[in-house]
Amino acid sequence: MSGANTGSNAGSLGDLQRAFQDYLLVTSDAFQAAVRDTQKADRITLLDVYRDGYALRLIEALTTDYPGLVAMAGPADFDHVARAYIAAHPSRHPSVRWFGRGLADFMATTAPYSAAPAAVEMVRFEWALGEAFDSPDVTPIAADALMALPPDAWETLSFTTLPSLRRSTFEYEVAQAWQRRDDVEPGNLEVARAEAPVTWAIWRPERVSNFRSLDPDEALMLDALVAGRSFPELCEAVAPLTGDDQAPARAAGLLRTFVEGGMIAGFSSGTSAG
Amino acid sequence: MCAADIDFGLGLRPEHYEEIAASPGRVNWFEALSENYMVPGGSPLHWLDRIRRDYPVALHGVSLSIGSIDPLDGRYLDDLKALADRVQPMCISDHLCFTGLRGVNMHDLLPLPYTEEALDHVAERVKRVQDHLGRRLVLENVSSYVTYAASELSEWDFITELSRRADCDILLDINNVYVSAFNHGFDAHAFLGAMPRERVRQFHLAGHTHKGSHIIDTHDHPIVPGVWELYAEAVRLFPGVPTMIERDAEIPPYVELLAELDVARSIATGVAHEVAAPVLSRAEG
Repeated sequence: MSGANTGSNAGSLGDLQRAFQDYLLVTSDAFQAAVRDTQKADRITLLDVYRDGYALRLIEALTTDYPGLVAMAGPADFDHVARAYIAAHPSRHPSVRWFGRGLADFMATTAPYSAAPAAVEMVRFEWALGEAFDSPDVTPIAADALMALPPDAWETLSFTTLPSLRRSTFEYEVAQAWQRRDDVEPGNLEVARAEAPVTWAIWRPERVSNFRSLDPDEALMLDALVAGRSFPELCEAVAPLTGDDQAPARAAGLLRTFVEGGMIAGFSSGTSAG
Repeated sequence: MCAADIDFGLGLRPEHYEEIAASPGRVNWFEALSENYMVPGGSPLHWLDRIRRDYPVALHGVSLSIGSIDPLDGRYLDDLKALADRVQPMCISDHLCFTGLRGVNMHDLLPLPYTEEALDHVAERVKRVQDHLGRRLVLENVSSYVTYAASELSEWDFITELSRRADCDILLDINNVYVSAFNHGFDAHAFLGAMPRERVRQFHLAGHTHKGSHIIDTHDHPIVPGVWELYAEAVRLFPGVPTMIERDAEIPPYVELLAELDVARSIATGVAHEVAAPVLSRAEG
């Protein structure tokens, strides 16, 4: 017998696999006819082991990825959004680790979840933490590498950041709330609205993910730095908020903060690289 | 043979990374879940590299989907090969099942119908995977809950014939034999007895959840006496096969798994003495 990929025969391998998957996705019950009762259990009970297990396994993965959302929403509401996401976005990656990647966009564009912007921001924050967790390993540079540069090198000096570095602007205090996620009963995590939107940096200098808020001029400078701008251009980036006179000192101070925080992977100039 | 001829291992789980690194010697090898380490970097790969310095490591996958009618996933195979190049594993294993089709991964080990058509299909794919990896694949029997009306062969005949046609090896999961035997009403001893001795490369042991009318392979409990009894028979039939314990939920303290591994050791030692006693008495006589 052949034709495994055609699935043209009734009861063929292809037909059976399609029917099995459709049963688990709750789009068809036809697979019931393809399996037998046992002496101890009817086929529906046995098929439910798979159907229930499918959803529970993916909900467990989302629970692992989004403890802050669980703390905000509580088990029942979390289960609701998780099942809606599972139905809308079947997993397409070999590792369940990546299944939750689209949850923030799904919630942001799907009622009733779109009416909870703080929850959407929490999900974006938690996914960024997860992405930083297993991003490529790069050792940050040390501050003394820059100290040794000749003065003229700073005219063209530009930087690369760690692959783990992410920047996100939040209107709600999701990072602060996330740190309290284990201190409250699930469903009781309150997330306050910030006085103004705040940009956060999320990165992993070694094996533990780190995050902190950025001052407004710091956020502008980090944007410019990530875009590959030279040090004089970084000074220009902060100047509107610090004033031209203070800009070089402020930019140098922020750069030192970035380096000492382990955000910077390397630098290059017309004369040096590291 | 004696128990010392068997290498006893555990599943590598993040909860135990630090204790494993700090207390070498009580486990002979670890089995890492391949997909958990197919990542660009970070803590999981750090610990895998760290533990690999002290122990042999086997790679055990859950998403090869060897039985699916979807095309083989070339990117997945490339990632698996890259991980194998990094780890230099003692073996690469996955499950005799399919995990989805039409590009969707159900993240479950879905059983195949035991038909000639499926046998042809899987054997061809195993050969291609082995060509890609440059080594034999080791395939595990899964726990299953439903019986296909279309099946033409027993599970053990299917596995035996597949290993012959595809020239692949077998990971014999003793708990899965026990679970499926209960669920489908077949004789677990017949299953073990049918396995080709020269192809059984590894044993898995695990706990399960008994629901009365059926058993679910949950890996969240200690191993039950019936599985230990079946393990003793497996050690008699297939001496010297590396043995490991899987725990994937309700992960206990590391020392509890070490104690459970000691049970496996004592069973294997008992079997070794059973086998050795007549030989020794003849030698003494």
